[in-house]
Amino acid sequence: MSAGTISQPAGEAAPAGRLNRPLLAWLSLLLVLVLVGLAAWGYQMQYGLSVTALNNVVMWGQYILFFMFFVGLSAGGLIVASAGRLFGVTRFKPIVRLAVLEATVAIMLAALFLLPDIGRPERIWHLFRYPNPTSPMIWDIAIVTIYFTLSALYTWLYTRADLARAGSPLAFGTSASESSVQRDERIKGALAWVALPAAVLLHSITAWIFGLQISRGFWYSAIMAPLFVSSALVSGLALVILLALILRRLRRLEFEDDLVAYLGGLLAVFITVEAFFVFSETLTAAYPGAAFESEPIRRMLAGPYALLFLFEVVAGLLVPFLVLARRRLRASPAVVAAMSILAIIGILVHRLNIVLNGLSYPLIEFPPGLSIGEYTAGQSSFITSYWYAPSLVEWLIVLGVLAFGALVFTLAALVLPLREGGVH
Amino acid sequence: MPEPVSPIEALPEASRAYGEIGPHSDRPRWGMVVDQERCVGCWSCAVICKSENDVPLGMWWNRILSEGEALDTPTMVGGRHELQWLPLACQHCDNAPCVKVCPVSATYHRDDGIVMMDNERCIGCRYCMIACPYGVRVFNWGAPARPTDFDTGMVAARPIGTVEKCTFCVHRITDGQVPSCVWSCPEGARVFGDLNDPDSRVSTLIRDREGERLLEDRGTQPKVYYLAPRRRRNL
Repeated sequence: MSAGTISQPAGEAAPAGRLNRPLLAWLSLLLVLVLVGLAAWGYQMQYGLSVTALNNVVMWGQYILFFMFFVGLSAGGLIVASAGRLFGVTRFKPIVRLAVLEATVAIMLAALFLLPDIGRPERIWHLFRYPNPTSPMIWDIAIVTIYFTLSALYTWLYTRADLARAGSPLAFGTSASESSVQRDERIKGALAWVALPAAVLLHSITAWIFGLQISRGFWYSAIMAPLFVSSALVSGLALVILLALILRRLRRLEFEDDLVAYLGGLLAVFITVEAFFVFSETLTAAYPGAAFESEPIRRMLAGPYALLFLFEVVAGLLVPFLVLARRRLRASPAVVAAMSILAIIGILVHRLNIVLNGLSYPLIEFPPGLSIGEYTAGQSSFITSYWYAPSLVEWLIVLGVLAFGALVFTLAALVLPLREGGVH
Repeated sequence: MPEPVSPIEALPEASRAYGEIGPHSDRPRWGMVVDQERCVGCWSCAVICKSENDVPLGMWWNRILSEGEALDTPTMVGGRHELQWLPLACQHCDNAPCVKVCPVSATYHRDDGIVMMDNERCIGCRYCMIACPYGVRVFNWGAPARPTDFDTGMVAARPIGTVEKCTFCVHRITDGQVPSCVWSCPEGARVFGDLNDPDSRVSTLIRDREGERLLEDRGTQPKVYYLAPRRRRNL
C-alpha cells in the first residue's frame, strides 16, 4: 500500500469518502485482482479441482492453509478488544475500533477461503440442512458464524455513536444521546465475557479439525488447540500493529509511539509462548523414534520442506523475539513493523508446515501407493508420496480473496470512524 | 421390446451359483476375509472393480500393494526372498473416522454395517479422505477419463467434485451375490459373508486362522480381516 503518498495537511484527519488518485489506483488494483480471482474460480468450477495441484495424497492445500491462517489473524482483533475491557488495559483504546474491524474482515475471509476448496460449492447449504454433530467441521462452521456476528456487532457498537453524530445511515437510526452511549458501554462490557471465550474456542475448534484425526500422527496431539491459539495471537496482534501503523500514516488513527513499543513487547511475549509450544511438540514427537510421529518430524527437519521449518524457527520466531525483546529496538515503530511482517510470514509458514507434513505421505506406505485420482496417458496412476506446490489457479484465487479483503477493509476504514471520539 | 433384465439375472446359471452369498443370519453384518496366503497379486479384483463400478481412469477403489520396497519386488528377510501382497480397499470400519467427520453425513453406516456414500449430498470437502487411515477414498478431481466412450458400470457414475469408494458392491448384495472382487479372484483369496453368523465361512476362517485387521491400534474396527500366510513362499 502506498501509504505515504496520500497528500493531506499534517495533523488533520482525511475526510471520509474523498477519493484521491493513489486511493483510486489502490482500489482499482484490488478490483482487478478480485475479478481475476473470480475468473480463476470460474475456470476451476468449469474443470473441477483438477486445475489445482492437489491430489488424493495431499487433498488439502493452499485454500485450507489460508482458511486456518485467516481464522488466526482474526484473533488479534477480538482478543485485544475484549481482553482490554476484561482486564482493564486501557492503553489499547486508540486502536480498539481498528482491532474489531480487522477481526470482522479476517473471519469473513476465512469463511470465503472454504468456498473454492469444496468440490461442489453450490451444495454449501447442505452444511445447514444436514449438519452432522460429530463433525469438527460443523463445530467450526458454528463458531465461525458466531464469531463473525460478534465481531461485526462489536465493530458497529464501537462506531455507532460517532456514525449517528455524523448523520450516517450506518447508524441505522440510532441516536448519540448520553444514555445510549452508556448503554453501548454496558453491552460492550457484557459482550467481552462472550467474545474472549469465543475467540479462544474459534482457534481451538479449528485446531481440532486437524488434531482429532487418528489417521494423521503429525496432527494427533493435544497441543494443537493451545498451539493454534498462540499462533493466532502472534499473527493477529502483528497484523493489528501493521494496520494501525499504516492507518496512522494515513492520518486515520492517532496514537503515541509508546503504544507501538508496548504492543511490540506483547508480541515478543506471544512469540515466546508459540516457540515453547512448537519446541515441546517437536521434541515429544521426535523423542520416542517411533514411526507414527517421528517419521513426519524427520521429513520436516530433513525432507524437501526442511528450509520452510528453518524459516519458521529463525525468521518467524527467533529474530522477531530477539529484536522485540530489546526495549531500545522496539521503541522504533519501523522496527516493530518489520518484525510484525516477519512474525506474520513466520506463522503462515508454520501453518504450511502443519498442513504439508501432516499429509505428504499415506499411512500405509507400501508401493504402488495411493491412486492419484487423475489420469495422464503413459504415467502411473499411483504415487507413494507427494510434495505439493500450489498451481497458478490456486494462487490467483487466493490473491483474489486477499484483494477482496483489502477492498472491504479499505472501504470500511474510509466510511467508519476508527479514531476514538473522532468525528470526520 | 424385450423386458429389461438385471445384469445378474443375465448371467449364466453356473456363474450365479458361484457368486451366491449363501446362508446368513436374519440381521447380517457384512464382512470380508482376504487370504494373503492365496493372493498372487494378479490385480484381477482391482480391475473388475473398476468395470463393475464404472471407476474412471486414474482412480482405484481397490488396489494391490506389495509389502516391500517396490511393486512386485521381493525383499530379503532372514537371508531369503519374501514377497507378499496386501489387497486394499475400504475396510468398512465399525468405528469409521470418515463417518464421524463428514459434515453433512454424506458418508454413513447402513444397518448391515456397510459404509456408504451419498454422492448427491457430498459437498466435496474431502475431510473423510483426511480422516481415513487407509487412503482408500478417491475424489473426482476433474472430468472422468474412460477407456471406452460409454459407461461400463453396473451402477451410476459419480458426479465431479465428490468423493467415492468401495461399497462392497452393494448393488450385488441386494441380488444375493458376493462383491465382484470376491467373485473374480482366481485364487479364491477373498471370502465374503455374515460376521454375525458364527458358522459363516468368514467367521470360521477368522477364528481358525486368527484373522487380523489393518492398523488395529487405531481402533477403527474394520470389517475386513486378513489371514497371514502359514508358510513362506519359495522364490
